[in-house]
Amino acid sequence: MSDEAITPRAPGKKIPIFSVTRVWTIAMSTVTQLVRMKTFYFLLAFALLLLVVGNVSFASSPAQALSTLKKVSFGAIDLFAWLFAIVATALLIPRDIEDRTLYTILSKPVRRGEYLLGKLAGVLVVIGVSLAVMFVICSIMIIWKQVGYMADEQAGGGRKEDIAASLALIAKNGFRIELAAAAYASFLKAAVVAAVTILLSTFASSSLFTIIISILVFLVGHAHSMATDYWLRVTDNSMAVLMVLKIFKIVIPNFQLFSFSEGIVTGAALAPGVLWQMTWLTAGYLVVFIFISLIAFVDKEF
Amino acid sequence: MSEHAVEVNNLTKVFRTGIGNQYVVAVDNLSFRVEAGEVYGLIGPNGSGKSTTMKVVLGLMAASKGEAKVFGLDSGDIRARSEIGFLPENPYFYKHLTGAETLKFYGKLCGIRGKKLKARVAELLEIVGLEDAARRRLGGYSKGMLQRIGLAQSLVQNPRLVILDEPTAGVDPVGSREIRDLILRLKEEGYTVFLCSHLLEQVQEVCDRVGIIFEGRMRREGKLEELIKIEKQTAMTLENASPELLAKIEGLVASEEGAAIVETGHPRTTLERLFIQIAERRSKEKASAEKKEEAS
Ligand SMILES: Nc1ncnc2c1ncn2[C@@H]1O[C@H](COP(=O)(O)OP(=O)(O)O)[C@@H](O)[C@H]1O
Ligand SMILES: [Mg+2]
Repeated sequence: MSDEAITPRAPGKKIPIFSVTRVWTIAMSTVTQLVRMKTFYFLLAFALLLLVVGNVSFASSPAQALSTLKKVSFGAIDLFAWLFAIVATALLIPRDIEDRTLYTILSKPVRRGEYLLGKLAGVLVVIGVSLAVMFVICSIMIIWKQVGYMADEQAGGGRKEDIAASLALIAKNGFRIELAAAAYASFLKAAVVAAVTILLSTFASSSLFTIIISILVFLVGHAHSMATDYWLRVTDNSMAVLMVLKIFKIVIPNFQLFSFSEGIVTGAALAPGVLWQMTWLTAGYLVVFIFISLIAFVDKEF
Repeated sequence: MSEHAVEVNNLTKVFRTGIGNQYVVAVDNLSFRVEAGEVYGLIGPNGSGKSTTMKVVLGLMAASKGEAKVFGLDSGDIRARSEIGFLPENPYFYKHLTGAETLKFYGKLCGIRGKKLKARVAELLEIVGLEDAARRRLGGYSKGMLQRIGLAQSLVQNPRLVILDEPTAGVDPVGSREIRDLILRLKEEGYTVFLCSHLLEQVQEVCDRVGIIFEGRMRREGKLEELIKIEKQTAMTLENASPELLAKIEGLVASEEGAAIVETGHPRTTLERLFIQIAERRSKEKASAEKKEEAS
């Protein structure tokens, strides 16, 4: 053999400590994966649902019909957001581990934190785009119905004041730009749920277990104050109980805080500053959960 | 200072299994070195600790005791990762990506982009012979093709060291031949290759040195020819030898003190070689048939 002729290869170049582009590469690959799993077909189902609800209505008045349409739309948006956040996150990471794809990713110069952040970002991009599209679909549907009802009302004839009153009622129950804040609230909630699910999936090895526990956390998080109040009433309020309660309050995110979106859908005003507050709260939850996940994930052996 | 490509010192890896104090010693006080530019094979039966050793070298697992170094860097150091390409045992890549997209993904993870990435992907597809399958999704790849795209993936950032876990396992003889030719090509291009296999005969022709591992311990190590040659015997294969010539040789041997003929007969081809010959003949026939068709 011509061993002498072979020169060993030169050392590789240095790599940055943290790289947003690596996170983004993993996020985009997650988006591709979810898109190619045909996730976006869900949007078709959503459009169909709205068409059915919008046209087959048993409501007694146009205002009521619009209100139903809104409740169904935003209920579906909210359900999609949190359920998708849990299921997608719980399926993706364990699958990477099982298929040993994670070995090949982590044996490249990729930090484990970058991997986790990338997965989270990918899921959130898909949810964000889906919610935006859903919001546009339901806005078009609401405006279309609203315009139709108003035209009917004006063509119907009657006293001027009555028509004006009906039109006002329809407008009040119709489209408002504040509805976008409701969709945004669903998005923030989904982001927190996704982070909780990532944390769980770094401990648990089974997707099903992760999904079930995440849903439980989500439901308990909705009864946050109820659960803590009840607890305080039935126990002796000893030091130990209070400690457990504190931990519970920190570990289980308070999803009730996000329910201001329901008020917006039913017509309440949007308190100023609330969106900023919720955004910061969500960011805080994300930082905490990703940080704990990272502690669990950094030393994990596969 | 001469730097070893891989340096494993007194590596021990213990797994706790189940509840209580049950444990498995997967790797037991293992030490070896892989020099830059050589092909080193870790050979041993299933469960002897080969994959575990590789995972520690890659920093996917921590050692219970001892250490592993890659080009002088601790294996947990992320900088070591840009020096290593890894092909895991029975790898699966994202089924929804095409061959070219897979290589692009791993290239981007290594910080390559733009024109450079495009050129590298094309080059790698050519090296592993998957240009025609580049636009097909991996879901439709055969086992051999997956191993080859996996090998290409491991080379994407031009690492100095390539670690291959059972690169030929589960691949048919022709595919396995191709992979071995690729490994030889890597060696010629100056890569250091550290591979492991439970199939001795499949890797013996590519390895410069082998270590034989069993139950987590190194049993023998050295140059392959030295390990397997039977010192006192010599084999000779003759072509078109007449019976007279054979009689002469037998006479010569008989006249020499202490020498004896242990075995004579017709050498047999191995089943594997036979299979490869058949496959090669078929593909040549096909090629010439296609040429004829084109001509007519
Ligand atoms: N994560 C793990 N947990 C517990 N035992 C393990 C784990 N990984 C490997 N082992 C055990 O360690 C031993 C060596 O495994 P491995 O390194 O995969 O062997 P090889 O690659 O040589 O077939 C086996 O007995 C295996 O059961
Ligand atoms: Mg193995």
